This record gives sequence, structure tokens and C-alpha cells, in this order.
Amino acid sequence: MNIKINRDTLLKPLSSVTSIVERRHTLPILSNLLLEAKDEKIVLTATDLEMQISLALQTPVGGELSTTISAKKLLDICRSLPENAEITMATAESRIQVKTGKSRFNLQTLPAADYPVMTKATGTTYTVVSIDQKSLKRLFKQVEFAMAQQDIRYYLNGLLFEVNGNRLNVVGTDGHRLSFTSTELAQTYEKQELILPRKTVIELIKLLDDSEEEVTIEIASGQVNFSFGDIKLISKVIDGKFPDYTRVIPVGHKNSFNVDRMTILLAMQRASILSNEKYRGIRMVLGSDSLRLISTNSEQEEAEEELEIAYGGDSLDIGFNVTYMIDVLNNVNCDTVTFSFADANSSCLVTVADDETYKYVVMPMRI
Amino acid sequence: MSLIKLLPDQLISQIAAGEVVERPASALKELMENSLDAGSADIAVTLGQGGVKLLRVTDDGNGIPHGDLTLALTRHATSKIASLDDLESVASLGFRGEALASIASISRTSITSRHAEASHAWRIAADGGLLGDASPAALDRGTIVEVQDIYFNTPARRKFLKTEQTEFGHCEEAFRRIALSRPDVGFMLQHNGRALMRLAPGAAKRRFTEVLGPDFSAEAFELDESAGGLRLWGMAAKPTFSRSARDTQYVYVNGRFVRDKLISHAIRQAYQDVLHHDRHPAFALFLELDPTLVDVNVHPSKTEVRFREGQAVHRFIFHALHKALATPVGLPANGLVPPPVAAPAISYSSGIPAGQPYPRQQGSFDLRANEAPGFYQTLFGGLPREAVDTSSPLVSSGINQPDMQATLAPPQASSGLSPEQATQEYPLGFALAQLHGVYVLAQNALGLIVVDMHAAHERIMYERLKNALDGDSVPMQPLLLPVSFNADRFEVATVQEQLSTPEGQQTLHQLGFEIVQLSPSTLAVRAIPAMLQDADAVALARDVLRDLREYGGSRVLTERRNELLATMACHAAVRANRILSIQEMNALLRDMEATERSGQCNHGRPTWFQATMADLDKMFMRGK
Repeated sequence: MNIKINRDTLLKPLSSVTSIVERRHTLPILSNLLLEAKDEKIVLTATDLEMQISLALQTPVGGELSTTISAKKLLDICRSLPENAEITMATAESRIQVKTGKSRFNLQTLPAADYPVMTKATGTTYTVVSIDQKSLKRLFKQVEFAMAQQDIRYYLNGLLFEVNGNRLNVVGTDGHRLSFTSTELAQTYEKQELILPRKTVIELIKLLDDSEEEVTIEIASGQVNFSFGDIKLISKVIDGKFPDYTRVIPVGHKNSFNVDRMTILLAMQRASILSNEKYRGIRMVLGSDSLRLISTNSEQEEAEEELEIAYGGDSLDIGFNVTYMIDVLNNVNCDTVTFSFADANSSCLVTVADDETYKYVVMPMRI
Repeated sequence: MSLIKLLPDQLISQIAAGEVVERPASALKELMENSLDAGSADIAVTLGQGGVKLLRVTDDGNGIPHGDLTLALTRHATSKIASLDDLESVASLGFRGEALASIASISRTSITSRHAEASHAWRIAADGGLLGDASPAALDRGTIVEVQDIYFNTPARRKFLKTEQTEFGHCEEAFRRIALSRPDVGFMLQHNGRALMRLAPGAAKRRFTEVLGPDFSAEAFELDESAGGLRLWGMAAKPTFSRSARDTQYVYVNGRFVRDKLISHAIRQAYQDVLHHDRHPAFALFLELDPTLVDVNVHPSKTEVRFREGQAVHRFIFHALHKALATPVGLPANGLVPPPVAAPAISYSSGIPAGQPYPRQQGSFDLRANEAPGFYQTLFGGLPREAVDTSSPLVSSGINQPDMQATLAPPQASSGLSPEQATQEYPLGFALAQLHGVYVLAQNALGLIVVDMHAAHERIMYERLKNALDGDSVPMQPLLLPVSFNADRFEVATVQEQLSTPEGQQTLHQLGFEIVQLSPSTLAVRAIPAMLQDADAVALARDVLRDLREYGGSRVLTERRNELLATMACHAAVRANRILSIQEMNALLRDMEATERSGQCNHGRPTWFQATMADLDKMFMRGK
């Protein structure tokens, strides 16, 4: 059993698939990827048992092959081979020989039959949602930074993915701040919600590109499948109840102002230099037509930034974790942002000018 | 026919003996306490076969009048209290009036006693609680209580006795505890005819040394703190003298040995910052307070007490000990009192600072200086110039470089201080060199000091971070999504208690916490300290509530914060293999002298040690 393939054809798909393979495993086969070549088609599959990516390449391979091979090593080999090298792979017993020109690599394999392939859940009804790659990627990027990381409230370590009527809502929160975004769908659906694991979201952002090409999302119980281009991604979902985000998003905050995103971002970044390095507190002092950002650290050093804004609301002195503010300013893609407040103890709402669906809520800090 | 009968007196005593006389050692404790309560100045204890065969306590106290002898062996008879008021303010060690009766009911006991005003002594014997008649006896003063064959009539109990060695060990420990508590009383211990300990009355410190060993008192510091009617005194070992077991821990409340959860928690917390978590501190501490503020009538063996103001006691002990532990190096509390040094202020031409009494190295010949620069330059060619110049003693002592005087002589020493002043003010002395990029070598009046530079710097950074934060209020981070959890009844009750008073609410707020009750069994955390925002809010809340309930205050959050700061300090501190110049090393030593707890790193390891000239002389067999 042997196949021939061009190094450049293989490299990019290989690296996309390999990124979900965990470095350390108790189960050796999980550090391998499944390689199946048949009928002028080669399919690469990798899994970490929570999610699986398979990528089908239409390319003449001149043979058949079905085996598993160390993903990391194969990728490293392909990466370091010269461009356009023709790779021949041939299996013999439990080994595979990867050969090109005068380079030969003999690698160990494990039987393809042992590979824990995730299959589509059978017997359940699917909801099929379509959206273009570019929009989906944008949605994820707007909220992904607010996800929790290894929180014991496991349901926060992912994004809420909610189909409701003709809206698709995506929400991320870590308990301190929350990011919400939404888009319109072509069809109308019954209400469906699931929590996408953090790793799946991050992989999807990497895999999706900025094209108008369609992504087909199949939602089943306990599983969700994304298909786009050559890629099929199957992921388990987090079994849990996501907090009710509608109760958290405030309405009717009357003290608000608009400000240029880059101006306030840079000012915040400067002020953050002298904020306490552990809890990163910064005070926003609002007066008539002025906003002052003040930070002090444990050595009693102080930074103050003053911004001219159009503001006629109440005078306010409110503290925040500056990281949460910098995060949102870095991740929204527009020129003007709006900050709205009620009082110094209530949450702050950040919205953007050119996307009225986007909302970011952050709790103040009592410094 | 009635099923319920009154038990005979002797049986009642035997039942009570189960609690009071757990083993011979507890009988010994009761007898010695009786002697102390009788105002004795000299107590001798004679044991036979680990106290099982024979237990004799001889004292020179007040004695028992002839008429009271029979009563002494009767249950609930005592001379120590007479009314409930007496009980509430009891100052004697015993008061229940059941020890002697219990002991007598399970052994062959005899009491020989001469009351101060009696013309001769009387003796009374009891055999398993059966009293004999008093008969005249010979004794010049005091009382002898002799207990033989403990448990001879209760075979079930006898089976629980351990080997002679073990029982003797327990007796010795009981003896130790009592001997420690009364340095003003002389004690003697004999076992199987051999005198093992003879303690003359004297100062407390001497008694500590005799009972706990010279190692303990060499490594321990004395403390004596009082505030608001509370006094804590005694000796506690420095963290470097930590133990792997809790064997050297003696706490006395009003002279009574106790094992109290509240007190040990306070002590543990005071040591928390300087002790590795699986090491145990060693101490002998005495808490004195108004007897009405403490209830000792909790358990017959009286090793448990209850404080009216547990919270205040906890706080007081913590602060007293914490303060004592924080004393920076060089102050007398650390045992580093420089002895009067007869240091002739010789001026060495080779650049030895005037403040240092011992010559660093022998003066050098000109010959060596001539060839040195080129020679050493090649030898240390790989090192940066500064390192060669200042951190190598070889070079620095040998070469007559013009700038050497300035580099080596610490600025302080050259500014007109006398040698004595310099040592008083700079107990860690002045840096000589760096050893393999890990240790700083310094000399002071006593000899050589070796400093672990990373450990020392880590502690300095840590204390600095803590001080910077201690003054501030705790910033609170309200949660966007409050975390609710199922709480047990105690937790809910604690929250209710806290929220019912303004002070309670204040306490929670100062900790940076906001907790509310959602339902009879659910609590919600609405805000946590901003510093700990990535921590598990529920676990944190539970720990805080438990501490609030048991000790009235919580240091859980401070401890957690300190853990974070310790990590930061560790990263910020200089690492091994960083070459330091002499000035940097001197600055480090000065910082250590000014920093609290600088004797240990954040993990409880020592940061420096002293090798005195005497130690070094001994090693080289000089002056013998």
C-alpha cells in the first residue's frame, strides 16, 4: 500500500488538522492522525475525543492507504522538506516509510481500525443552520475573549450558541464581564441552544476564513457539526445550563458618551502601566465633557489620562479592571464605541456604532 | 420491684475514674496539681514500673488536718471551692473534688499528711475505695500520697495499659508539663529507684532549658506581651527550629496546661508566613487572663477551656506572636547580640574597613601586586570586568588598585562610626564576596555570615508587596453572575449573624466579600476581592465563613493574597548566578536588617547563618 503526494498540497491541511492534537496523552493513538487515501482522495482526521476535524483533499494519490501516524512528526517532516517535494508513503507491517528524494523516514504506525473516530449522532433530529464563513468568524471573534478559562463553573468555559427564530445569538462570559452578539439567519427556527467548548471555538476561528462560502451547522443533542470547504468538524457540546444573559444586559442606562475607539484604547493602555499589577484597577472619572482615567499602583505611583468627550450626564467616579476594557476595545472592529452607565455600582454597557446587536457588559470594581 | 437503683458510691467513683484516671500519667497529674494547690515549694515524684506499680508524690505543702483526711478521699469533697461564685473565678488547678476519690477507688492509696499546725502527722489508707481508719504517722511537714497497683480491681482497664516504657513516657510528659508551668517550685522525678530529673526553683528561662533542652532555648526567643487584661509570655522557637511533629508545644492558660483549638489555630496562623506547611513550631507559652473570663469546667481532665471572648483571645495571641516573629534580624530578639568585642582599631593598609575587627586576609606583598593585574586578568578573562574587580576576594585583597578602597569600604564604615556602632547598627556586617553566584559571604563582628541571596531577596520583595497592600482597603469585584451554592446550616447561620449587625457587615466588606442568603439553604456570593477574582468563589466563601464561625475573623483571604504575592516575589527576586557587586550585596544586607521576618524565606527556609570566629577557630583547632 503506497501513495504519492505533493508536499505543498499536504502541508496546509496537515497543520490545520494537527492543531487539535494534544501534546501529552495517556492514550498513544490520540497523538496520531488518521490517514485514509482512496479513489484519488485523501482524508486526514484528528481528534482529542472532545472534537474531531477531518479534511478531505481531492488529489491524485495513485494508490490506497489507511493507517494512523504521529501527527506532530509527520507535520515536522513535511514542514522541513523542500518545496514541491514529491512524497511517497508506503506501509509495511506496523511501520510506514515516508520518502522523498534521498530522505527516508521510517515511522511507527497504529492500526487505522483502532482510531476513535467520532461519528454523527444517529437517530436524533438535526437542526440545520446555514451561515457564511465570514459572518460566523466575526461573531466568534467578537465574543471569544470573554469566555472563562478553566473555571470550575464548567459551563462558562465556552460560548453560548443560540438559535432563536431567525436570530443566531452568541454569548461569552467569565462571570465578571459578558459579551453578546447576534446576527440574522435566512430561515426561522425553533429555539435551540448549546454551549460550544472553548477549544472548539478557538479552532473554528483558526479554520474559518473571510469568504462568503457557506457553513452548514448541524445541531443534535450533545453534538454539533460544522461543515465548510473540505473541512468537517464534529464537536461535543458542554452539558450544562448557561446563565440567563438577558437578565445581565442592562437597558436604559442614561449616562452615556461616544468616544473614538483607538483614542480611548491607547489612553487605557497607557494608564494601565501604573495600575496595580494584580487586580489592574483603573478609575473612570466622568465630568461635564471630560473623562479622566486614573490609576495608582501599590508604590503609590499615579497615571492620569484626560479625554475630551461630549458628555452631559451625571458626574461619576467608577472603577474597573482595565484588562476587561482593553479586551473589548481590542476586539471590536469599528471606529466609535459608546459607554453607558447608570451609577458607580451598576454594570457598564459598551456598544459599538456600526453593529447595534453587539453588547458588552462589565461589572465595576470597588477600589 | 424497681428497675432503677441508686449506684453505690464506690461504683460511682470507679465510673468517674474512667474519665479522670485514663492512665497512671493522669493520676500523676492530679496528684501534682494537688500539691501545687497546697502551696508546695518542692515536689518529689517517685514512680515504680511506669507508675503502674507505684506512684508517690511527696510535697512540703500545707498538709491536711487530721479531721479532713477521710473527707479527702470522699467524692465531691474539696477545700478549693465552696460556692458557685468560687467556681466561676477558680484560680486553683483542681476544684471538682473527685480526683483523689477516683484514684482511691481503683488502686491502693495511702495519704500521710501533717497539717502545718498539727503536732504530728496522720496516715489514712484506702484499698480500692474502702477507707481504713486514720492512724498517727511520722512526717515533718507536707503530704505524701502513695498510689499502688493502679487498676488492680478493674481488670478491663488494666488491659489497656501499655508497656512500662510507654506508661513511663506518659508520666514523664505529665511531669514535664507541670514542671514547666511552675519554675518557682522545685521538682524531682525518680523512676524505678533512679533519679532522672532534678529541677531547682529558679528563673523561667532556666526551667525551659532544663525541661525542653538547650537546643530549644538556644533557638527560641522570649516574649512577653500584654493588652487589655491579657498577657502572653513564654518562649517560642524561631521558625528554623521547626519540628516534624507537634511534640514541643506547651500552652498554659492561667498556669493550667491545655490543648485548645482556638489557641493552637492562632499560633499556627502567626507562624503561617514563616513556616513550611508541614513543619510544626515549638513553643511554651503562658496565657494569663482574668479567671472569670475563662471556663475550665469543660471536661474532667481540664485540658479544654472555653473563653468568654474567644475572638479577642485569638486576635491577641496571633498579634503578640506575629509581632515577635516579625522582628528583623539583628535585634536582640533574634539572639544576635554582639558580645563586647575587644577589637583594636587597627588600620590595615590593604583596604580593610575600619568597622571590621578581624583582618580579612593577610596583608599582601608588593611582589604579588606587581604581577597580579595581568595574571588575574587572564585567569578571569571570561568574566565581566566588574565581577573580577569587586566580587573576587582573591583579587580584591591582593591588588592595590586606587579605586579599591572606595569600592570595598562600606560607605557607612568610612563615615566616622566606631567599630561598636557599626556592628550594633549592621548586625549582618559587610559583604565580602559572592560564592558561585548563589551565596553572599559577609563578615560581621562575630565572624562569617552566609546569606542565600535569592531566599533573602525573595523575602524582602514579599514583605514590601505585603506592606504596600496592607494599608489599602481591599478592592471588591462585584460579580456579573453571582455564584450561588448549597450551604449547610452553619454557613447560613454565620451569614445571618454577620448580616444582622453593622459590625458583621463591615467585617465582610473589609474582607472584600458580599454574601447574601437566597433561600434557607442557598447562599450567593455577589462580590469577591478583586485580587482573587480568578479563584473559586464558592470554596473561598466557604473557607471564610468557617473561619468567621470558629475564630470570629478570617485570615483566609490575606493568606490567599499572600500566596499570590509570594509567587510574585519569587519571580521578582534575583536568581542564582546573577553576579552582584559589593555595593549591591551590602544593600541586600541592609535591606535584610530592615525587613521583618527576613530570617526565613517565604517557604520557611533560613536565609542566612552565622559561622562565628569561635566556630571557625574550633574547626581549625586554633588557640587550643
